[in-house]
Amino acid sequence: MTDAPLLEVRGLRAGYGQVNVLHDIDLSVGTGEVVVVLGANGAGKSTLMSAMSGLIPHSGEILVDGSPVGHPRPDQMLARGISLVPQGRGTLTALDVTDNLRVGGTGLGSKKDVDEEIDRWFGIFPRLAERADQIAGTLSGGEQQMLAIARALMSRPRLLLCDEISLGLAPLIVQELFGTLRRVSAESGTALLLVEQNAELALDIASRVYLLEVGAVASSGTADSFRENNNIRQAYLGY
Amino acid sequence: MDIFLSRLFSGMTAGSIYVLIALALVVVFRSSSTINFAQGEFALFTTYVAWWLTERGLNIWVAIPPIIVLGFVMGALAERFLIRPVRKRDETAILIVALGLFTGLNGLDGWIWGSDEKVFPAMFPSGEDDYVSVLGARLHYDSILVWIFAAAVVIGLTVLFKRTSLGLEMRAVATNPESAALCGIKVGRILTISWGLSAAIGSLAGVMLVPTIPPGQLNLASMFQVLIFASAAALLGGLDSVKGAVVGGMVMGIGLAMINGYATFIGGSFSLTFALILIVVVLVVRPTGLYGTRRLERV
Ligand SMILES: Nc1ncnc2c1ncn2[C@@H]1O[C@H](COP(=O)(O)OP(=O)(O)OP(=O)(O)O)[C@@H](O)[C@H]1O
Ligand SMILES: [Mg+2]
Repeated sequence: MTDAPLLEVRGLRAGYGQVNVLHDIDLSVGTGEVVVVLGANGAGKSTLMSAMSGLIPHSGEILVDGSPVGHPRPDQMLARGISLVPQGRGTLTALDVTDNLRVGGTGLGSKKDVDEEIDRWFGIFPRLAERADQIAGTLSGGEQQMLAIARALMSRPRLLLCDEISLGLAPLIVQELFGTLRRVSAESGTALLLVEQNAELALDIASRVYLLEVGAVASSGTADSFRENNNIRQAYLGY
Repeated sequence: MDIFLSRLFSGMTAGSIYVLIALALVVVFRSSSTINFAQGEFALFTTYVAWWLTERGLNIWVAIPPIIVLGFVMGALAERFLIRPVRKRDETAILIVALGLFTGLNGLDGWIWGSDEKVFPAMFPSGEDDYVSVLGARLHYDSILVWIFAAAVVIGLTVLFKRTSLGLEMRAVATNPESAALCGIKVGRILTISWGLSAAIGSLAGVMLVPTIPPGQLNLASMFQVLIFASAAALLGGLDSVKGAVVGGMVMGIGLAMINGYATFIGGSFSLTFALILIVVVLVVRPTGLYGTRRLERV
Protein backbone atom coordinates (compact mmCIF):
# COMPACT_ATOMS: atom_id res chain seq x y z
CA MET A 1 0.00 0.00 0.00
CA THR A 2 2.84 2.41 -0.74
CA ASP A 3 0.62 4.33 -3.16
CA ALA A 4 -2.07 5.16 -0.60
CA PRO A 5 -2.75 8.90 -0.57
CA LEU A 6 -1.23 10.91 2.24
CA LEU A 7 -4.68 12.14 3.31
CA GLU A 8 -8.01 10.80 2.21
CA VAL A 9 -11.56 11.42 3.42
CA ARG A 10 -14.49 9.15 2.56
CA GLY A 11 -18.12 10.03 3.11
CA LEU A 12 -17.13 12.85 5.44
CA ARG A 13 -19.94 14.66 7.25
CA ALA A 14 -19.51 17.47 9.71
CA GLY A 15 -21.37 20.50 11.01
CA TYR A 16 -22.20 22.55 14.05
CA GLY A 17 -24.62 21.27 16.68
CA GLN A 18 -27.70 19.90 14.94
CA VAL A 19 -26.83 21.55 11.61
CA ASN A 20 -24.99 19.38 9.12
CA VAL A 21 -22.80 21.39 6.73
CA LEU A 22 -20.78 18.78 4.84
CA HIS A 23 -22.49 15.92 3.00
CA ASP A 24 -20.48 12.83 2.09
CA ILE A 25 -17.27 14.48 0.97
CA ASP A 26 -14.71 12.29 -0.83
CA LEU A 27 -11.32 13.87 -1.31
CA SER A 28 -7.66 12.91 -1.33
CA VAL A 29 -4.23 14.51 -1.42
CA GLY A 30 -1.16 12.55 -2.48
CA THR A 31 2.37 12.90 -1.17
CA GLY A 32 3.87 16.20 -2.31
CA GLU A 33 0.76 17.02 -4.33
CA VAL A 34 -0.73 20.52 -4.58
CA VAL A 35 -4.53 20.52 -4.54
CA VAL A 36 -6.99 23.40 -4.42
CA VAL A 37 -10.53 23.54 -3.06
CA LEU A 38 -12.76 26.16 -4.66
CA GLY A 39 -16.22 27.18 -3.57
CA ALA A 40 -18.49 30.13 -2.88
CA ASN A 41 -18.85 31.79 0.53
CA GLY A 42 -20.56 29.41 2.90
CA ALA A 43 -19.94 26.33 0.73
CA GLY A 44 -18.30 24.60 3.69
CA LYS A 45 -14.60 24.95 2.83
CA SER A 46 -13.52 26.05 6.31
CA THR A 47 -15.73 23.41 7.89
CA LEU A 48 -13.94 20.81 5.77
CA MET A 49 -10.54 22.08 6.93
CA SER A 50 -11.66 22.12 10.58
CA ALA A 51 -12.99 18.57 10.39
CA MET A 52 -9.85 17.27 8.67
CA SER A 53 -7.59 18.81 11.31
CA GLY A 54 -9.59 17.53 14.25
CA LEU A 55 -11.06 20.85 15.41
CA ILE A 56 -14.68 19.76 15.03
CA PRO A 57 -16.29 16.31 15.20
CA HIS A 58 -17.07 14.39 12.03
CA SER A 59 -18.59 11.18 10.84
CA GLY A 60 -17.27 9.18 7.91
CA GLU A 61 -13.64 8.19 7.48
CA ILE A 62 -10.38 10.10 7.59
CA LEU A 63 -7.37 8.09 6.45
CA VAL A 64 -3.71 9.00 6.69
CA ASP A 65 -1.33 6.87 4.60
CA GLY A 66 -4.26 4.54 3.98
CA SER A 67 -5.07 3.89 7.65
CA PRO A 68 -8.22 5.21 9.32
CA VAL A 69 -7.38 7.62 12.10
CA GLY A 70 -10.71 7.61 13.95
CA HIS A 71 -11.50 10.89 15.65
CA PRO A 72 -8.16 12.50 16.41
CA ARG A 73 -7.53 15.75 18.28
CA PRO A 74 -5.67 18.53 16.46
CA ASP A 75 -2.38 17.66 18.17
CA GLN A 76 -2.77 14.07 16.96
CA MET A 77 -3.40 15.16 13.35
CA LEU A 78 -0.33 17.36 13.64
CA ALA A 79 1.68 14.41 14.94
CA ARG A 80 0.64 12.56 11.74
CA GLY A 81 2.09 15.40 9.70
CA ILE A 82 -1.02 17.42 8.87
CA SER A 83 -0.98 21.10 9.80
CA LEU A 84 -3.57 23.85 9.28
CA VAL A 85 -3.32 27.58 8.68
CA PRO A 86 -6.87 28.48 9.73
CA GLN A 87 -8.94 31.18 8.05
CA GLY A 88 -8.39 34.51 9.78
CA ARG A 89 -4.75 33.64 10.46
CA GLY A 90 -4.93 32.05 13.89
CA THR A 91 -1.74 33.54 15.23
CA LEU A 92 -1.36 33.75 18.99
CA THR A 93 -1.93 37.47 19.15
CA ALA A 94 -0.71 38.06 22.72
CA LEU A 95 2.62 36.30 22.12
CA ASP A 96 5.61 37.72 20.29
CA VAL A 97 6.75 36.46 16.89
CA THR A 98 9.48 34.17 18.22
CA ASP A 99 7.18 32.61 20.82
CA ASN A 100 4.55 32.00 18.13
CA LEU A 101 7.10 30.04 16.13
CA ARG A 102 8.33 28.26 19.25
CA VAL A 103 4.79 27.14 20.05
CA GLY A 104 4.43 25.97 16.45
CA GLY A 105 7.39 23.68 17.08
CA THR A 106 5.80 22.05 20.15
CA GLY A 107 5.92 18.60 18.61
CA LEU A 108 9.57 18.79 17.54
CA GLY A 109 11.99 16.69 19.52
CA SER A 110 14.57 19.06 20.94
CA LYS A 111 15.08 22.73 21.62
CA LYS A 112 17.89 22.61 19.07
CA ASP A 113 15.45 21.47 16.38
CA VAL A 114 13.09 24.29 17.33
CA ASP A 115 15.84 26.92 17.16
CA GLU A 116 17.05 25.57 13.83
CA GLU A 117 13.57 25.66 12.40
CA ILE A 118 12.99 29.22 13.68
CA ASP A 119 16.22 30.33 11.99
CA ARG A 120 15.08 28.68 8.78
CA TRP A 121 11.77 30.59 8.76
CA PHE A 122 13.47 33.83 9.70
CA GLY A 123 15.64 33.24 6.61
CA ILE A 124 12.62 32.66 4.40
CA PHE A 125 10.62 35.57 5.88
CA PRO A 126 13.17 38.31 6.73
CA ARG A 127 10.30 40.61 7.69
CA LEU A 128 9.49 38.27 10.56
CA ALA A 129 13.14 38.17 11.64
CA GLU A 130 13.18 41.96 11.87
CA ARG A 131 10.15 41.76 14.14
CA ALA A 132 11.23 38.78 16.25
CA ASP A 133 10.19 40.41 19.55
CA GLN A 134 7.07 42.17 18.31
CA ILE A 135 3.69 41.06 19.70
CA ALA A 136 1.90 39.15 16.93
CA GLY A 137 -1.33 41.10 17.36
CA THR A 138 0.45 44.31 16.34
CA LEU A 139 1.80 42.93 13.05
CA SER A 140 0.30 44.03 9.74
CA GLY A 141 -2.14 41.66 8.04
CA GLY A 142 0.48 40.43 5.61
CA GLU A 143 3.06 39.90 8.32
CA GLN A 144 0.54 38.00 10.43
CA GLN A 145 -0.25 35.75 7.51
CA MET A 146 3.47 35.05 7.00
CA LEU A 147 3.71 34.25 10.69
CA ALA A 148 0.68 31.96 10.55
CA ILE A 149 2.20 30.06 7.62
CA ALA A 150 5.65 29.84 9.21
CA ARG A 151 4.08 28.76 12.48
CA ALA A 152 2.11 26.00 10.76
CA LEU A 153 5.25 24.82 8.96
CA MET A 154 7.39 24.80 12.14
CA SER A 155 6.23 21.27 12.88
CA ARG A 156 7.72 20.09 9.53
CA PRO A 157 4.35 18.79 8.29
CA ARG A 158 3.95 16.53 5.26
CA LEU A 159 0.72 18.28 4.32
CA LEU A 160 -0.14 21.93 4.89
CA LEU A 161 -3.80 22.93 4.80
CA CYS A 162 -4.21 26.64 3.97
CA ASP A 163 -7.61 28.26 4.45
CA GLU A 164 -7.83 31.41 2.29
CA ILE A 165 -4.41 32.79 3.05
CA SER A 166 -4.94 35.46 0.39
CA LEU A 167 -7.95 36.97 2.15
CA GLY A 168 -7.64 40.72 2.63
CA LEU A 169 -4.07 40.97 1.42
CA ALA A 170 -2.61 43.12 -1.35
CA PRO A 171 -2.05 41.21 -4.63
CA LEU A 172 1.71 41.69 -4.38
CA ILE A 173 1.87 40.12 -0.92
CA VAL A 174 -0.35 37.27 -2.07
CA GLN A 175 1.98 36.52 -4.96
CA GLU A 176 4.94 36.59 -2.62
CA LEU A 177 3.23 34.15 -0.23
CA PHE A 178 2.22 31.78 -3.01
CA GLY A 179 5.73 31.92 -4.43
CA THR A 180 7.15 30.99 -1.05
CA LEU A 181 4.67 28.16 -0.60
CA ARG A 182 5.43 26.77 -4.04
CA ARG A 183 9.15 26.89 -3.31
CA VAL A 184 8.83 25.27 0.13
CA SER A 185 6.59 22.59 -1.30
CA ALA A 186 9.02 21.82 -4.12
CA GLU A 187 12.09 21.84 -1.88
CA SER A 188 10.84 19.76 1.02
CA GLY A 189 8.12 17.74 -0.70
CA THR A 190 5.36 19.20 1.47
CA ALA A 191 1.91 18.61 0.00
CA LEU A 192 -0.48 21.57 -0.08
CA LEU A 193 -4.23 21.69 0.16
CA LEU A 194 -5.28 25.27 -0.60
CA VAL A 195 -8.72 26.72 -0.02
CA GLU A 196 -9.00 29.78 -2.21
CA GLN A 197 -11.32 32.43 -3.54
CA ASN A 198 -8.43 33.63 -5.64
CA ALA A 199 -8.91 30.80 -8.12
CA GLU A 200 -6.56 32.03 -10.81
CA LEU A 201 -3.52 32.09 -8.60
CA ALA A 202 -4.41 28.80 -6.95
CA LEU A 203 -4.96 27.03 -10.29
CA ASP A 204 -1.48 28.21 -11.29
CA ILE A 205 0.26 26.18 -8.65
CA ALA A 206 -2.22 23.33 -8.13
CA SER A 207 -2.37 20.12 -10.11
CA ARG A 208 -5.86 19.07 -9.04
CA VAL A 209 -9.06 20.87 -8.04
CA TYR A 210 -12.20 20.14 -6.00
CA LEU A 211 -15.22 22.36 -6.40
CA LEU A 212 -17.45 22.56 -3.32
CA GLU A 213 -21.10 23.60 -3.60
CA VAL A 214 -23.40 23.71 -0.57
CA GLY A 215 -21.37 21.22 1.38
CA ALA A 216 -20.81 18.65 -1.35
CA VAL A 217 -18.17 18.06 -4.02
CA ALA A 218 -19.83 19.38 -7.21
CA SER A 219 -16.94 18.42 -9.45
CA SER A 220 -13.27 17.59 -9.38
CA GLY A 221 -10.47 17.16 -11.89
CA THR A 222 -7.10 18.44 -13.04
CA ALA A 223 -6.29 22.13 -12.84
CA ASP A 224 -5.96 22.22 -16.63
CA SER A 225 -9.41 20.80 -17.20
CA PHE A 226 -10.82 23.39 -14.82
CA ARG A 227 -9.09 26.25 -16.57
CA GLU A 228 -10.57 25.09 -19.87
CA ASN A 229 -14.08 24.61 -18.51
CA ASN A 230 -16.09 27.66 -19.56
CA ASN A 231 -18.67 27.62 -16.77
CA ILE A 232 -16.09 27.43 -14.07
CA ARG A 233 -13.96 30.04 -15.69
CA GLN A 234 -16.83 32.45 -15.69
CA ALA A 235 -17.87 31.68 -12.13
CA TYR A 236 -14.45 31.66 -10.50
CA LEU A 237 -11.98 33.37 -12.79
CA GLY A 238 -14.29 36.05 -14.07
CA TYR A 239 -13.33 35.96 -17.78
CA MET B 1 4.81 56.85 62.64
CA ASP B 2 5.08 53.54 64.50
CA ILE B 3 1.33 53.09 64.42
CA PHE B 4 1.28 53.80 60.71
CA LEU B 5 4.07 51.31 60.15
CA SER B 6 2.46 48.55 62.13
CA ARG B 7 -0.76 49.08 60.18
CA LEU B 8 1.26 48.98 56.97
CA PHE B 9 2.89 45.73 58.04
CA SER B 10 -0.35 44.02 58.94
CA GLY B 11 -1.88 45.29 55.70
CA MET B 12 1.01 43.82 53.74
CA THR B 13 0.60 40.50 55.50
CA ALA B 14 -3.11 40.29 54.74
CA GLY B 15 -2.30 41.60 51.26
CA SER B 16 0.19 38.77 50.70
CA ILE B 17 -2.55 36.24 51.35
CA TYR B 18 -4.90 38.06 48.95
CA VAL B 19 -2.08 38.05 46.40
CA LEU B 20 -1.73 34.28 46.71
CA ILE B 21 -5.44 33.55 46.36
CA ALA B 22 -5.75 36.12 43.57
CA LEU B 23 -2.87 34.38 41.77
CA ALA B 24 -4.70 31.08 42.12
CA LEU B 25 -7.73 32.68 40.47
CA VAL B 26 -5.56 34.22 37.75
CA VAL B 27 -3.86 30.92 36.86
CA VAL B 28 -7.24 29.30 36.19
CA PHE B 29 -8.77 32.33 34.49
CA ARG B 30 -5.82 32.72 32.09
CA SER B 31 -6.13 29.21 30.75
CA SER B 32 -9.87 28.68 30.82
CA SER B 33 -11.57 32.11 31.20
CA THR B 34 -13.41 30.73 34.21
CA ILE B 35 -13.45 32.12 37.74
CA ASN B 36 -13.14 29.19 40.07
CA PHE B 37 -15.46 30.01 42.94
CA ALA B 38 -14.56 26.78 44.65
CA GLN B 39 -10.95 28.01 44.93
CA GLY B 40 -11.27 28.97 48.60
CA GLU B 41 -12.94 25.68 49.47
CA PHE B 42 -10.14 23.62 47.93
CA ALA B 43 -7.78 25.59 50.14
CA LEU B 44 -10.01 25.17 53.20
CA PHE B 45 -10.09 21.41 52.73
CA THR B 46 -6.31 21.08 52.46
CA THR B 47 -5.90 23.41 55.45
CA TYR B 48 -8.10 21.09 57.50
CA VAL B 49 -5.94 18.19 56.35
CA ALA B 50 -2.86 20.14 57.47
CA TRP B 51 -4.46 20.73 60.87
CA TRP B 52 -5.36 17.05 61.10
CA LEU B 53 -1.77 16.04 60.27
CA THR B 54 -0.38 18.32 62.98
CA GLU B 55 -2.87 16.84 65.45
CA ARG B 56 -1.30 13.49 64.59
CA GLY B 57 2.02 14.93 65.74
CA LEU B 58 3.44 16.10 62.43
CA ASN B 59 5.34 19.39 62.42
CA ILE B 60 3.41 22.02 60.43
CA TRP B 61 6.41 22.51 58.13
CA VAL B 62 6.46 18.81 57.31
CA ALA B 63 2.72 18.91 56.65
CA ILE B 64 3.00 21.63 54.00
CA PRO B 65 4.52 19.68 51.07
CA PRO B 66 1.96 16.86 51.17
CA ILE B 67 -0.99 19.23 51.34
CA ILE B 68 0.38 21.24 48.40
CA VAL B 69 0.53 17.99 46.43
CA LEU B 70 -2.97 17.12 47.66
CA GLY B 71 -4.19 20.54 46.50
CA PHE B 72 -2.68 19.98 43.07
CA VAL B 73 -4.30 16.56 42.74
CA MET B 74 -7.71 17.86 43.85
CA GLY B 75 -7.62 20.77 41.42
CA ALA B 76 -6.47 18.56 38.55
CA LEU B 77 -9.11 15.90 39.23
CA ALA B 78 -11.85 18.51 39.54
CA GLU B 79 -10.94 19.94 36.13
CA ARG B 80 -10.61 16.57 34.45
CA PHE B 81 -13.71 14.85 35.80
CA LEU B 82 -16.13 17.62 36.81
CA ILE B 83 -15.39 20.73 34.74
CA ARG B 84 -14.28 19.24 31.43
CA PRO B 85 -17.35 17.07 30.85
CA VAL B 86 -19.59 20.15 31.06
CA ARG B 87 -17.22 22.70 29.51
CA LYS B 88 -18.49 22.11 25.98
CA ARG B 89 -22.11 22.34 27.07
CA ASP B 90 -22.47 25.86 28.38
CA GLU B 91 -21.24 28.37 30.90
CA THR B 92 -24.09 27.99 33.37
CA ALA B 93 -23.15 24.33 33.68
CA ILE B 94 -19.61 25.27 34.75
CA LEU B 95 -21.01 27.73 37.26
CA ILE B 96 -23.28 25.08 38.73
CA VAL B 97 -20.44 22.57 38.98
CA ALA B 98 -18.25 25.16 40.73
CA LEU B 99 -21.08 26.03 43.09
CA GLY B 100 -21.61 22.34 43.79
CA LEU B 101 -17.90 21.96 44.56
CA PHE B 102 -18.09 24.99 46.83
CA THR B 103 -20.95 23.74 49.00
CA GLY B 104 -19.98 20.09 48.66
CA LEU B 105 -16.43 20.61 49.93
CA ASN B 106 -17.58 22.84 52.76
CA GLY B 107 -20.14 20.24 53.78
CA LEU B 108 -17.49 17.54 53.60
CA ASP B 109 -15.17 19.55 55.87
CA GLY B 110 -17.94 19.92 58.42
CA TRP B 111 -18.89 16.27 58.19
CA ILE B 112 -15.32 15.06 58.72
CA TRP B 113 -14.02 17.61 61.16
CA GLY B 114 -17.09 19.18 62.77
CA SER B 115 -18.01 22.83 62.95
CA ASP B 116 -16.07 23.76 66.09
CA GLU B 117 -13.01 26.00 65.86
CA LYS B 118 -9.63 24.34 65.53
CA VAL B 119 -6.53 25.84 67.10
CA PHE B 120 -4.12 26.06 64.24
CA PRO B 121 -0.39 25.77 64.92
CA ALA B 122 1.79 28.77 64.07
CA MET B 123 4.54 28.21 61.56
CA PHE B 124 6.87 30.57 63.33
CA PRO B 125 7.06 31.71 66.91
CA SER B 126 4.39 34.37 67.05
CA GLY B 127 4.33 35.27 70.71
CA GLU B 128 4.42 38.75 72.15
CA ASP B 129 8.20 39.00 71.96
CA ASP B 130 8.82 37.45 68.56
CA TYR B 131 9.34 40.56 66.50
CA VAL B 132 11.94 42.89 65.21
CA SER B 133 11.55 46.56 65.84
CA VAL B 134 11.37 48.79 62.79
CA LEU B 135 11.31 52.50 63.65
CA GLY B 136 9.40 51.64 66.78
CA ALA B 137 6.87 49.42 65.06
CA ARG B 138 6.70 45.71 65.69
CA LEU B 139 7.34 43.50 62.71
CA HIS B 140 6.47 39.96 63.67
CA TYR B 141 8.46 37.03 62.32
CA ASP B 142 5.38 35.28 61.01
CA SER B 143 4.53 38.35 58.93
CA ILE B 144 7.95 38.27 57.33
CA LEU B 145 7.43 34.60 56.59
CA VAL B 146 4.14 35.25 54.79
CA TRP B 147 5.79 37.95 52.68
CA ILE B 148 8.63 35.63 51.75
CA PHE B 149 6.27 32.84 50.70
CA ALA B 150 4.12 35.20 48.64
CA ALA B 151 7.21 36.67 46.96
CA ALA B 152 8.53 33.17 46.23
CA VAL B 153 5.25 32.16 44.55
CA VAL B 154 5.20 35.37 42.48
CA ILE B 155 8.78 34.80 41.35
CA GLY B 156 8.11 31.12 40.71
CA LEU B 157 5.08 31.85 38.54
CA THR B 158 6.89 34.59 36.65
CA VAL B 159 9.74 32.21 35.85
CA LEU B 160 7.25 29.51 34.87
CA PHE B 161 5.37 31.74 32.44
CA LYS B 162 8.37 33.56 30.99
CA ARG B 163 11.09 30.92 30.92
CA THR B 164 9.71 27.41 30.60
CA SER B 165 8.09 25.55 27.75
CA LEU B 166 5.17 24.55 29.99
CA GLY B 167 4.65 28.24 30.75
CA LEU B 168 4.79 29.06 27.04
CA GLU B 169 2.15 26.42 26.34
CA MET B 170 0.00 27.85 29.14
CA ARG B 171 0.30 31.33 27.66
CA ALA B 172 -0.57 29.96 24.21
CA VAL B 173 -3.72 28.28 25.54
CA ALA B 174 -4.60 31.49 27.39
CA THR B 175 -4.33 33.48 24.15
CA ASN B 176 -6.31 31.16 21.92
CA PRO B 177 -7.07 27.52 22.76
CA GLU B 178 -7.95 26.64 19.18
CA SER B 179 -4.72 27.98 17.71
CA ALA B 180 -2.79 26.37 20.54
CA ALA B 181 -4.37 23.01 19.70
CA LEU B 182 -3.41 23.48 16.04
CA CYS B 183 0.18 24.02 17.19
CA GLY B 184 0.16 20.55 18.72
CA ILE B 185 -0.47 21.57 22.31
CA LYS B 186 -2.57 19.13 24.34
CA VAL B 187 -5.00 21.79 25.54
CA GLY B 188 -6.84 19.49 27.94
CA ARG B 189 -3.59 18.60 29.69
CA ILE B 190 -2.70 22.28 30.07
CA LEU B 191 -6.10 23.02 31.62
CA THR B 192 -5.71 20.14 34.07
CA ILE B 193 -2.25 21.34 35.08
CA SER B 194 -3.51 24.92 35.46
CA TRP B 195 -6.30 23.89 37.81
CA GLY B 196 -3.89 21.75 39.78
CA LEU B 197 -1.33 24.53 40.04
CA SER B 198 -3.99 26.97 41.09
CA ALA B 199 -5.28 24.72 43.87
CA ALA B 200 -1.70 24.05 45.00
CA ILE B 201 -1.11 27.80 45.43
CA GLY B 202 -4.40 27.99 47.33
CA SER B 203 -3.25 25.21 49.67
CA LEU B 204 -0.15 27.15 50.58
CA ALA B 205 -2.21 30.29 51.12
CA GLY B 206 -4.57 28.36 53.42
CA VAL B 207 -1.96 27.33 55.97
CA MET B 208 -0.41 30.79 55.96
CA LEU B 209 -3.76 32.47 56.29
CA VAL B 210 -5.23 30.92 59.42
CA PRO B 211 -2.53 32.10 61.87
CA THR B 212 -2.82 35.65 60.54
CA ILE B 213 -6.55 36.08 61.07
CA PRO B 214 -7.28 36.57 64.76
CA PRO B 215 -7.71 34.50 66.82
CA GLY B 216 -5.69 32.13 64.66
CA GLN B 217 -8.35 29.45 64.57
CA LEU B 218 -9.67 27.38 61.73
CA ASN B 219 -13.38 27.09 61.06
CA LEU B 220 -15.73 26.39 58.19
CA ALA B 221 -16.03 30.09 57.30
CA SER B 222 -12.29 30.85 57.36
CA MET B 223 -11.98 31.16 53.60
CA PHE B 224 -15.15 32.96 52.81
CA GLN B 225 -14.16 36.59 53.42
CA VAL B 226 -10.67 36.04 52.11
CA LEU B 227 -12.00 34.71 48.82
CA ILE B 228 -14.13 37.83 48.38
CA PHE B 229 -11.20 40.13 49.16
CA ALA B 230 -8.96 38.14 46.84
CA SER B 231 -11.57 38.15 44.05
CA ALA B 232 -11.83 41.92 44.38
CA ALA B 233 -8.03 42.09 44.25
CA ALA B 234 -7.85 39.91 41.14
CA LEU B 235 -10.58 41.92 39.39
CA LEU B 236 -8.88 45.18 40.30
CA GLY B 237 -5.51 44.01 38.95
CA GLY B 238 -6.90 42.25 35.90
CA LEU B 239 -7.94 38.61 35.90
CA ASP B 240 -5.25 37.43 33.54
CA SER B 241 -2.29 39.30 34.96
CA VAL B 242 0.24 38.11 37.56
CA LYS B 243 1.38 41.67 38.11
CA GLY B 244 -2.26 42.70 38.51
CA ALA B 245 -2.82 40.08 41.23
CA VAL B 246 0.19 41.41 43.14
CA VAL B 247 -0.83 45.07 42.90
CA GLY B 248 -4.51 44.30 43.49
CA GLY B 249 -3.80 42.09 46.51
CA MET B 250 -1.51 44.67 48.11
CA VAL B 251 -3.91 47.55 47.46
CA MET B 252 -6.67 45.50 49.06
CA GLY B 253 -4.61 44.45 52.08
CA ILE B 254 -3.01 47.80 52.84
CA GLY B 255 -6.12 49.78 51.91
CA LEU B 256 -8.33 47.80 54.29
CA ALA B 257 -5.75 48.01 57.09
CA MET B 258 -5.62 51.79 56.77
CA ILE B 259 -9.38 52.22 56.54
CA ASN B 260 -9.97 49.99 59.56
CA GLY B 261 -7.14 51.68 61.43
CA TYR B 262 -7.80 55.35 60.76
CA ALA B 263 -11.49 55.41 59.99
CA THR B 264 -12.66 53.47 63.01
CA PHE B 265 -16.01 55.22 62.94
CA ILE B 266 -16.86 53.23 59.85
CA GLY B 267 -16.69 49.95 61.71
CA GLY B 268 -14.99 46.67 60.93
CA SER B 269 -17.81 45.06 58.98
CA PHE B 270 -17.41 47.77 56.40
CA SER B 271 -14.46 45.84 54.88
CA LEU B 272 -16.64 43.33 53.13
CA THR B 273 -18.96 46.02 51.79
CA PHE B 274 -15.90 47.91 50.60
CA ALA B 275 -14.67 44.84 48.70
CA LEU B 276 -18.05 44.24 47.10
CA ILE B 277 -18.39 47.91 46.10
CA LEU B 278 -14.90 47.76 44.62
CA ILE B 279 -15.87 44.68 42.55
CA VAL B 280 -18.91 46.49 41.13
CA VAL B 281 -16.96 49.68 40.44
CA VAL B 282 -14.17 47.82 38.63
CA LEU B 283 -16.67 45.86 36.54
CA VAL B 284 -18.33 49.09 35.48
CA VAL B 285 -15.37 51.46 35.08
CA ARG B 286 -12.60 49.21 33.88
CA PRO B 287 -13.70 45.64 33.16
CA THR B 288 -10.18 44.49 32.26
CA GLY B 289 -8.72 45.69 35.56
CA LEU B 290 -5.51 47.68 35.89
CA TYR B 291 -3.19 45.33 33.99
CA GLY B 292 -5.49 42.78 32.44
CA THR B 293 -6.28 42.31 28.77
CA ARG B 294 -9.45 40.29 29.00
CA ARG B 295 -12.71 41.21 30.60
CA LEU B 296 -14.90 38.95 32.64
CA GLU B 297 -17.53 37.57 30.33
CA ARG B 298 -18.94 34.91 32.55
CA VAL B 299 -19.00 34.43 36.28
N1 LIG C 1 -19.02 27.93 14.26
C1 LIG C 1 -20.12 27.78 13.51
N2 LIG C 1 -21.32 27.57 14.09
C2 LIG C 1 -22.43 27.40 13.34
N3 LIG C 1 -22.43 27.43 12.00
C3 LIG C 1 -21.27 27.67 11.36
C4 LIG C 1 -20.06 27.84 12.08
N4 LIG C 1 -19.06 28.04 11.20
C5 LIG C 1 -19.64 28.00 9.99
N5 LIG C 1 -20.95 27.76 10.08
C6 LIG C 1 -21.90 27.62 8.95
O1 LIG C 1 -21.46 26.56 8.13
C7 LIG C 1 -21.61 26.88 6.76
C8 LIG C 1 -20.28 26.73 6.06
O2 LIG C 1 -19.36 27.64 6.59
P1 LIG C 1 -17.84 27.64 6.20
O3 LIG C 1 -17.15 28.60 7.10
O4 LIG C 1 -17.34 26.26 6.19
O5 LIG C 1 -17.90 28.20 4.72
P2 LIG C 1 -16.70 28.62 3.75
O6 LIG C 1 -16.87 27.84 2.50
O7 LIG C 1 -15.42 28.50 4.45
O8 LIG C 1 -17.05 30.15 3.48
P3 LIG C 1 -16.08 31.40 3.29
O9 LIG C 1 -15.59 31.37 1.90
O10 LIG C 1 -16.98 32.56 3.53
O11 LIG C 1 -15.00 31.28 4.31
C9 LIG C 1 -22.15 28.31 6.71
O12 LIG C 1 -23.52 28.22 6.49
C10 LIG C 1 -21.87 28.85 8.08
O13 LIG C 1 -22.86 29.78 8.49
MG1 LIG D 1 -14.01 29.78 5.06
